[in-house]
Amino acid sequence: MTYLVSLFLLGLIFGLVAVASNPAPYFAALGLVIAAGAGCGVLVGHGGSFLSLVLFLIYLGGMLVVFAYSAALAAEPFPETWGDRSVLVYVLFYILGVMVVVGWFWGGWHEACWVAIDELKELVVLRGDVSGVALMYSSGGGLLMLCAWVLLLTLFVVLELTRGLNRGTVRAI
Amino acid sequence: MTPVHFSFTAAFTLGLMGLAFHRTHLLSALICLEGMMLSLFIALSLWTLQLESTAFSTAPMLLLAFSACEASAGLALLVATARTHGTDRLQNLNLLQC
Repeated sequence: MTYLVSLFLLGLIFGLVAVASNPAPYFAALGLVIAAGAGCGVLVGHGGSFLSLVLFLIYLGGMLVVFAYSAALAAEPFPETWGDRSVLVYVLFYILGVMVVVGWFWGGWHEACWVAIDELKELVVLRGDVSGVALMYSSGGGLLMLCAWVLLLTLFVVLELTRGLNRGTVRAI
Repeated sequence: MTPVHFSFTAAFTLGLMGLAFHRTHLLSALICLEGMMLSLFIALSLWTLQLESTAFSTAPMLLLAFSACEASAGLALLVATARTHGTDRLQNLNLLQC
């Protein structure tokens, strides 16, 4: 389990390296998919099955479909992959930077293994994150209403931004 | 510093560096912002799961809702830019006439 979670942590870092090294947006979205999948694995390794499910379904299912659509909208004929020279320099630079910082902390890791949530208790009916998220409907009701209000406000912001060519916010000069 | 803490900190820093240094496309900057939000989600979830403070596990959900707001506003700006300027390269936004 420790090795598996370590593999997922490595996947998280390499996914963000793939995003940050400035390839074409198609491949950057692919790197974000890898990073999100590895993050789900990390959360499962810590016992947060519901939070991991939310990350996988909402984040990958909802947000990245929209990103793929926008990447198709802003397409370009010759996308740069990680093998191109301008991108490969940044990939190697970021990997080298991460390795330097790992070497800085080497030997000083506090705990190399970890326990999942609720693993040391005797009887658990609900997993910790499931019962915690359900608290959003009772004690966190005010914040839930604030979130709903913000999402509604965002709808009007998006409608106003993309309203039309002549009357919209961003217009050609 | 544990390996888990190091990993999401490094992920956040990598996303921040990508956002700060590489700005050819607007969509690349938005994807870097999404990567930073992903590392923040993982950080808040790990805080809940490692400390067993289960009442805190609503915080990543609310962060996900706010990051959806941020992504939708950014993508609306991207669509508006692609409509008016024809492309989403950030150097095009500097032009006086297009």
